[in-house]
Amino acid sequence: MAKVKKAKIQKCALNLNTSAINTWCPGCPNFLILTSFKNALCNLIETGYKKEDFVMITDIGCNGKIYDYVDISGFNTLHGRTIPTCFGIKCGNPKLKVIGFMGDGGAYNEGLSHFVNAGRYNSDMTVIVHNNQLFSLTAGQTSNVTEKGFVEKTHPFGLKEKPLNPIVLALEAGATFVARVSALDVAEMERVMKEAIKHKGFSLVEVMQPCIVFHNFSDFLKTSSYKVHEMPREEAIQEAKKWNYSHEGKIGLGIFHRRTEKTFEEKNLDWKK
Amino acid sequence: MRFNILIGGRAGQGINELATILARTLGKIGFYTFNYRDYGSLITGGHNFNIVCVSDKKVGSYDDNVDLVLSLDEKTLEIHKKRFTDKTIFVVNFQTNQKNSVYLAADRDKTENMAFATAVFKILELDKKHLLDEVKIRFAGKSLLAKDLDVIDHFYDKDFGYSIKLNHENTSKVVMNGAEAVSKGVIASDLDVYFAYPMTPSTTLLNYLAKEQDGNFFVYSPEDEIAVANAGLGASFAGARTMVGTSGGGFDLMTEAMSMQSITELPLVVYLAQRTGPSTGVPTYNSQQDLLVSLFGGHGEGSRVVVAPGSPKECIEKTNEAFYLAEKYGILSIVLSDKHIAESDFSFNEFKLKPLNIPKRKLMPGMSNLKFRTSSYEHNSKGDNTEVIEEINESFGKRLDKDKALEKEAKKFERYKVYGKGKNLIIGFGSTKGAILDTLDSLDARFLQILYLSPFPKEISSFIKSSKNVFVVEANASGQLAKVIAMNTGFVIDDKNKILKYDGRPFTPEEIIKEMAKRGVK
Repeated sequence: MAKVKKAKIQKCALNLNTSAINTWCPGCPNFLILTSFKNALCNLIETGYKKEDFVMITDIGCNGKIYDYVDISGFNTLHGRTIPTCFGIKCGNPKLKVIGFMGDGGAYNEGLSHFVNAGRYNSDMTVIVHNNQLFSLTAGQTSNVTEKGFVEKTHPFGLKEKPLNPIVLALEAGATFVARVSALDVAEMERVMKEAIKHKGFSLVEVMQPCIVFHNFSDFLKTSSYKVHEMPREEAIQEAKKWNYSHEGKIGLGIFHRRTEKTFEEKNLDWKK
Repeated sequence: MRFNILIGGRAGQGINELATILARTLGKIGFYTFNYRDYGSLITGGHNFNIVCVSDKKVGSYDDNVDLVLSLDEKTLEIHKKRFTDKTIFVVNFQTNQKNSVYLAADRDKTENMAFATAVFKILELDKKHLLDEVKIRFAGKSLLAKDLDVIDHFYDKDFGYSIKLNHENTSKVVMNGAEAVSKGVIASDLDVYFAYPMTPSTTLLNYLAKEQDGNFFVYSPEDEIAVANAGLGASFAGARTMVGTSGGGFDLMTEAMSMQSITELPLVVYLAQRTGPSTGVPTYNSQQDLLVSLFGGHGEGSRVVVAPGSPKECIEKTNEAFYLAEKYGILSIVLSDKHIAESDFSFNEFKLKPLNIPKRKLMPGMSNLKFRTSSYEHNSKGDNTEVIEEINESFGKRLDKDKALEKEAKKFERYKVYGKGKNLIIGFGSTKGAILDTLDSLDARFLQILYLSPFPKEISSFIKSSKNVFVVEANASGQLAKVIAMNTGFVIDDKNKILKYDGRPFTPEEIIKEMAKRGVK
């Protein structure tokens, strides 16, 4: 099991658990993402958000299973289509607090054009990407953010292409809140998720989540990270370019950028009855 | 008596505008009018034309030959030669040796159209007041309005040397195209959200709805059709009454989401306007090639409503029914249109739709102390994903039961219509209706129009059994309606009895009569 960075894990007074049997691999950092998310939600509800206003939209893959593990409204949608589903929900009822969960395959492969457009729209939603840099539920194929040289059954001679840099992409596309966190740091995940959900506009939280079966980069995460602080967009883009999704050098974690800008709903949906 | 006016010229000359003004103004006077629009995939130049068919009786098509030609360019006289007879009159704005032609000598600017329109009014001995009124409304506030009105006055005083008196009823007709009619059905259904990505010929509806959205509903074009379909289901999940629109390849991109509709049971209405395929095909022309994909597009098994209106009145009614059934049964309703019905003008006597009482949602996210969960994964009644045999069977069974209830309720709507008298039977759906109806006086045949392709009116078997020979008239190459009939009734229509056309152009009554004659029916 990946070692959890020691931090106070606060107790949630509100029970957001479900009776579903959890089918993630024992020891998977997804459990930590789940804990952080429930804590973040609990905290937000305690400070005035309404539980019934939260909706979680989940993709296909291990991330999508979280749909069954949190006791709130939800829509487990298609592979790569979480973002347009979130967008539609906001158009249908702008009052809902919409949180999408996707894997790197859904966000950066199948749904890449939606990901880019989400930045452009600045629709008020939060997208949490479980980035294990691999398609894991289908038994370990490379995604658009797998490091060069990775060998698996469909790439027996190693991946020849370089990974995309989704943090740079999101910033370039106009995302107004961009963060990257480690799945091994529950307290920081909770803090950043809360900030992202509170943010008005499109917020991206990329969670670096080692797959303990097919792609375990836990040691790299634990030993080679540094904290980034919020900075203006252009600087954030330069900062994000410092790490290229290989497991070398240092990976910046934290909130890269946050700014206030009119949301899609404020610009387009002011007519709403 | 039917009188056909051909209006031809380059794209950008306002051919369609001129034809629309004529069709609508003549309709107001009391004529039945039909206005066919033909254009290629280009913005300016090329050759566009309309044919406006005017009559004192109901009309839903144009004829092979034309009586009056408004030729806005020289090419029109060349391209349409086959449509001309010895009696055809030509109005031109250039010097020509063409027999039976009148030279307008109008300014070659944007008011040229008004000179042509006025020529029609003068030749048909109609009061110019109707034209002036229409132009005043249509171009209110436009800089050229004053000159347009002067042009009408000036050319109305001109002697064209021809005059033709046509009969008409005295009650004004409403003239509109199928897309505008669908928009009226949509608005009557109290729409909340419409998503569509531009694609001919579905864009016409997008334009109408975008114009009408102020304060009542929201219209938006997201990044692609995949986003359109998934955002549509997202909006529906949020509780909004939602429609999405597309054509051909756009629908292909949506089919994964159509399949998700089946399992999530989120109400969704789809406007599918067909064009000539396969692939990019002939993008600005007509077809009925997407009947089967409208019924079956999407993996796995799920049922849906598919309605195919054949007139603006049916566009309004069937769209309203599509919303009703979608909302009541959590089902996918497809309004199957095509270029010909969406973009042709049809005339009819004014009627008032009594909108159906569409059920309101009982459960949606945001309701206090409640949760709403649904999934693309098979799920139990609480929305929990499942792979358990009993739960799979229960959920599937519930959807199958719902289909039965839907089928029962759909029977209260008009799912087919029978017209005319005769020993033989012509079956059709959608936009072929206009031309088929216009043949019935000349044929020993009834016309059976199928309005619901799903749930299919199986009771049409009785009409098949009581007819001597059964024919289909379809704008596709493989007789898709005949396949659907065979699937639902077991009756196989002989290949030689399939009258098919797949060149993108609509049937004319003469073509159908000729094809029927080849098959021994007169």
